[in-house]
Formats: sequence, C-alpha cells, structure tokens
Amino acid sequence: MASREFIYEKFADYYSNSSLNVPPPTLMAQREFGFFLLKERAMVRHKSFMGIKDLRRFLSDTVPSDVYHSCAYYENPSFEMDKKGWLGADLVFDIDADHIPTSCNKIHDEWTCGKCGFAGKGITPETCPVCGGVKFDTKTWPCELCLNSAKEETVKLVDMLEKDFGFASKEIRVFFSGHRGYHVQVEAEAVRTLDAMARKEVVDYVSGLGLALLEEQAPEKPVAGKRRRRGSSVFSLHDFGWNKRLKAGMQKFILNATRDDLRTVGLRSYALLQNREAVLSRCLEEGRWNSVKGVSVETWRRIARHVKELESAKIDTVVTTDLHRLIRMNGTLHGKTGLLKKEFPAERLTSFDPFVEAVAFKGGTAKVSISDAPEFRLSGKVFGPYKNEVVELPMAAAVLLVCKGRAEVAEK
Amino acid sequence: MQMETVIFTENDLAKYPFLKDTAEYMKKLGLKIEELENPEMAPILDRAQERVKEAILSLGVGKKRENHVEIPSFPVAIMLAIATKNSFIKKRYALAEAKQAFSDMQFENNERIMAIAADFDWNIALNRDLTVPLEFALSFIDYLRNTTHLRDKNWKLVNRLLANGKVYLNKHDVARLLQEEVQHRIEKKLEAKELPNFPEKITVMAEHLLELAREKIGKQEMEGFPKVVSQSAFPPCIVALYEAASKGRHLSHVGRFTLTAFLVNIGMPPEKVTELFKSFSDYNERLTRYQIEHIAGERGSRTQYTSPQCSTLQTHAVCTGSDALCRRVHHPLTYYRIKLRQRTNESPKK
Ligand SMILES: [Zn+2]
Ligand SMILES: [Zn+2]
Repeated sequence: MASREFIYEKFADYYSNSSLNVPPPTLMAQREFGFFLLKERAMVRHKSFMGIKDLRRFLSDTVPSDVYHSCAYYENPSFEMDKKGWLGADLVFDIDADHIPTSCNKIHDEWTCGKCGFAGKGITPETCPVCGGVKFDTKTWPCELCLNSAKEETVKLVDMLEKDFGFASKEIRVFFSGHRGYHVQVEAEAVRTLDAMARKEVVDYVSGLGLALLEEQAPEKPVAGKRRRRGSSVFSLHDFGWNKRLKAGMQKFILNATRDDLRTVGLRSYALLQNREAVLSRCLEEGRWNSVKGVSVETWRRIARHVKELESAKIDTVVTTDLHRLIRMNGTLHGKTGLLKKEFPAERLTSFDPFVEAVAFKGGTAKVSISDAPEFRLSGKVFGPYKNEVVELPMAAAVLLVCKGRAEVAEK
Repeated sequence: MQMETVIFTENDLAKYPFLKDTAEYMKKLGLKIEELENPEMAPILDRAQERVKEAILSLGVGKKRENHVEIPSFPVAIMLAIATKNSFIKKRYALAEAKQAFSDMQFENNERIMAIAADFDWNIALNRDLTVPLEFALSFIDYLRNTTHLRDKNWKLVNRLLANGKVYLNKHDVARLLQEEVQHRIEKKLEAKELPNFPEKITVMAEHLLELAREKIGKQEMEGFPKVVSQSAFPPCIVALYEAASKGRHLSHVGRFTLTAFLVNIGMPPEKVTELFKSFSDYNERLTRYQIEHIAGERGSRTQYTSPQCSTLQTHAVCTGSDALCRRVHHPLTYYRIKLRQRTNESPKK
C-alpha cells in the first residue's frame, strides 16, 4: 500500500511540476483520450480536450498511471464508439520485444502459475508443466538486449517507410514506448483515410508476407519436351521494393556465409563457399542460377527465404490495422516503468539511449526493499543484481523497481 | 503537370460516359426526365435498356451507337437500373460498364490514360526512369485504394515495384485499376436514396429487366448454411481456435473474434458460443455475451460481422497453415461451405 502511495506521489509531482514537457499531439481536439487512473484503479475513455492546457490540468488533477490518445481523428471524440464519426487515422506501428525473438531469451521475465503457484524464468509456457494450468502472472523486464532487438526492427521499418513508401523523414515520428519497444507514427495527410484493408497490405509489405517469388511452386518449370535453357534469367532481381532488399541481403549472406549458415538455411552442398565470386556475379547479378555447379534455383530460394526473415520488420500486426487504436501519449509516464514515452528524430535511432533519455525522475533517492531484480543501467549508472535486500537508490531506479513489482518502498 | 491537358472529345465520352465531362454535355443537351416518353427519344431509351439488359445477360453493354445516342443513353441507363431497385442488377450493371471501359482503355495512348486517371484524381505520372520498363508510376495510396479487394497475389503490394511511394505499372495494370474506379463511381451513382417519379415507360422497362434478372439469379441459388453445425467441416484454423477455446487456452483478440464470428456466421446460436468461452480463465459472462451479441448483430450497430478472410488471418498469424482445400479458397466460410457440400452423400453424424 505504501508503494502505491509512493508511485501516486511521484507521478503527481511529475505532472504538476513538469507538465510543460507534455507536448500537444497533432490535431488534439479531434482525438479521443483515455487514462488509467491510479487512485480509482480504473480505465477512463472517451475524453476529449480542446487544448494542451486543459489536458495538462487534467493530468495533475487526476494523476493517471498511463495516458493514451487515439490514432484516429473524430468529429466527436468524446461520443460513444458508434457515434464518434471517424475522420481518419495516423498510420502507426508498434515494435515490442514481446513479439521478437531476442538473444536474451527473455530470461529476465518471470512467470507464476495462477493455479498451483509453480514459477519459472524466461518465455511464459503455454501450459503449466506441473498442473497444466493456463493462467500465469508474469513479471517482465525492459532489458537492453530486448530493447536493442526492438531498435533493429525499427531501423528496418523506418528504412522501408522512407525508401519504399517515400515518406519524408519529418513525416515519420519515432518514439521510445516507455517500456519494451518503439512506436513509429506517420501523420502524413495522404495516409489518414487508408482503410483497414489498405493498412493490412502495408503490414504485409513490411513483414514480407506473401512474396510470390518465394513460394513453393518452382517458377522455372522445364517446358515439356524442351530441354531447360541453362541459366535462364527468371531469377534476376531488380532494384525496387522487396527485390532490392532481397538482393542486398543475399549479397551480404553469400559474402559472409559459413558452413553453419548454409546448414541453418537448409542447404547440404557447400559448393557456394568455393565459388562466392561466381555466385555473386553470374547467379545473383545475372540471375543464371544454374550456371554454377552445385548451386540451383533451390539454393536461391532457401537463401532468399532466410534473408526475407532478416530483412522484414517484426511489428505487432493488430496495432497497425486497428482504425480506432489508443496509443500511449508522447511525453507521459509509463505505469510499468516510470519512464517516459519519448520522441526523437529518426536519424538518431542508432544512438538513442532509452535508459538515459527517457528518465523522468532526476532528483532525490528512496529506500526500497527489493525481492529480485536483474542488473540494470539508468542515467549512466549500473545497478544490481539484487536479491532480498534493502537499498537506497536514485529516485528513477526506485520508481522503476516499484513500478515493475520487484520492490516495495522501505521507508519514506 | 508538365504535359498538355487532353480535352475529351465526344468520341471519348461515347466510350467513357462515366467521365465528369458527360454532365456538362448533358446540361447542354437539356434533356428532361419527362421528355423520355417523346418518340424522338426512343433511340436513347432503347440503347439505355440494351445496356442494362446486356449487363444482366452477358456482363457486356452492347454495341456502341452514334454519339448523340450513345452518350445520353448512359445516364438514362443509370436511371433505369435505379428504377429496378434491385441490388443484383445494379452491381452487375456497374461491373459490365467498368469491364467495357477496361477493354477500350487498353487501346488508348498513355496521355489519354493519364487524362482518365486525372478524372479520378489519381496521383499518377509517366515514368521517366529508364531502368524500369513500365510506363506509369502511381502513388501507393491510390494503388491500395483499388487493389485491396483483388485476390490475385500479384496485386499484393509486396509483389510490386515500390520505390519512393510510387508503384510502377504497365498500361494493362493501370487500365485494370481504373476499371475498379469506374465500377466504384457507377455504384455510387446507383446508390441514389431519393427516387424521382419515373415516367411509366421507365417503370415498365424496369419491370421487364427485373423479370430477366430473376430468371438469371434463379439459377444461382442463394445458399444459406444448414441448421446443424458440422464440426468436421471446419477449416484447420477454426479447428485450432475451437480446440484452444474449449481447453480454456488463451486466444488473441483476432483469434477470439475470428472464432466467434465464424460460429455465428454458420448459424450457431449466440448462447452456444458463450458456452464455449466459459472455460476461459478471464471469462466474464456479461462481457462475453455482449461481445458475441455485438458480432451477431443483435446489439449496437446491428450489422452482423463476418469472420475475416484467409489473407487477414495470415497477417495476424491466426492461419495455421493450409491443407489442399485451403489453397483453393480465400475465406474460412467458403472452405466450410465446400466441405459441407462434399459430404452431402455421407451419412450425417453429430
Ligand atoms: Zn500450475
Ligand atoms: Zn531481454
């Protein structure tokens, strides 16, 4: 209980002293707002605000743990769903570590069976290995490896939005979500009226779903009675869209492949390794995939499929196709971390450091009793790992652990 | 735009009467609805009737006549189709006109194609990039607006040359997408909510066309689903969702919606569907009932939701991979319908 009050107090402080850091969303009067209120422990939706001042006052008066607004623009944003009058919506993408296989294997996440109490670490199983229960309490952690994986996906996505979809970099807004991922939001006028089906096609594009040239039926069928033309150029890739991405990715793969890599993609012949140059020039450039011994169209397809997985951006598909989605508001606190959702220029993607730049609480300390926490880094300092100990921590670290349910407030 | 504007001639309007310029032509002509009964209007009325009739019979619009008959016969045919108040006729007529336009457009030069595209406010340009052997570059927004309901996988954006927001296309494909615009524009015209008082001649003609259509539709029986739900005809994705639900395993939002809509669509009563979700650990009777009745169209907007098609299920990873029949269909409901039909000779089991 003390912990809950502690969070309330800290969030209240933030919204009454730093609310100028909360920038107004584009056309905010046409958006629906939603809040999770800390005191009432309830979700409030269908709110609307004429200006940012009203909203900032609302934040410091009610102190929500989480603040959302619609990606959609409405005639009457505060009306019930069927009567809002949908005018359009931004094109949004959510990249969350939950949807990406990461090298940490989520070892920092904990799950507890809701039925028998059996607990474990890592990816939550589908059924409890002890009792077969299906409901779990999970404690996740925003780890650096997870966030780096999410960032890599974001880089690929932004590249496609710029080069393939032709959006200007100022039309592509990139945010750290405040927890385990990134949000990308395109507010260009032209995309606002795209319907759900059109957005689904955009999703399929960035995921590389449905690429016909990777499909089962061999596109190079020998015509009956005729000898197959040696090295026909069915498989030359052009320099646009996915073709270009596959070509560049395959080039990289062929140049660097090891025997292990070839086995990973399911190839048994290592002929490619002895003839890298020939494969690059004759097969990849000219598309004559039967011109090098031991290399075939099947080699092409297997590598291409592997490369497609590497080059596609792993996004949460339902977020992009939902025309009424609520998304966390820029400049507000995330209730699970006490970190900010934070915008930064797309060209800074590789250098952006969420554990420095999204820190909201910059002064003071608090003493917390920590049950269990992995090592973590915040504002340039490294903390932990901790196990059943009482520690005095800088405010941001204390808030993070309490928000994540890894610690309780020891004393004020 | 850097090129000289194409001005549509009367020959153009005779071929493409759906263009905005036709309204101008008609205004000059000053034709009034009451005058349609005048004997000198007979050729126009006759041609209009032929347009709709051919659409019903063969998805064509018949042979072109002289411009002064051909052009006004189009708005009259629209009126005639509206007067039938029959959605099958309207749909079919719009499609027939659009198909005719498609076949004509393929013989036009690039400039004329551009002019027709401009009539639909497309953001399109002639391609000047010599490395691409395709004549047109169309904004991906206009491209998506006209392709998302086309089923052939070649229309998927992922299989197109997309660069800098432009999709590169040849003349055939541009004409094909313009066909979609034409159909859409005509369907819009046919939506007219308030009907004028039609002259008797029109009403009689509409009655004849209706009769013709009834013969035609009569053959294509409108199949509903039988009352008994047959689990063994479920497609693999629904089997997986159904099993997961009955074991109380967590389903994604899309998964839950798909299963609910599918079961409601094939005629399972909402109470039965609610029953299925009871084993969920986060089960909430009131909320579940509400959601299911909403999908069934018994609440709120009153529209019954249809379960998503295969491509949507693939996007959201609900599709579990396909069997042989899956590869022939685009919708789980079609799978179910075909499977049911295949088994009509077997003895029904519960
Ligand atoms: Zn258990
Ligand atoms: Zn991790």
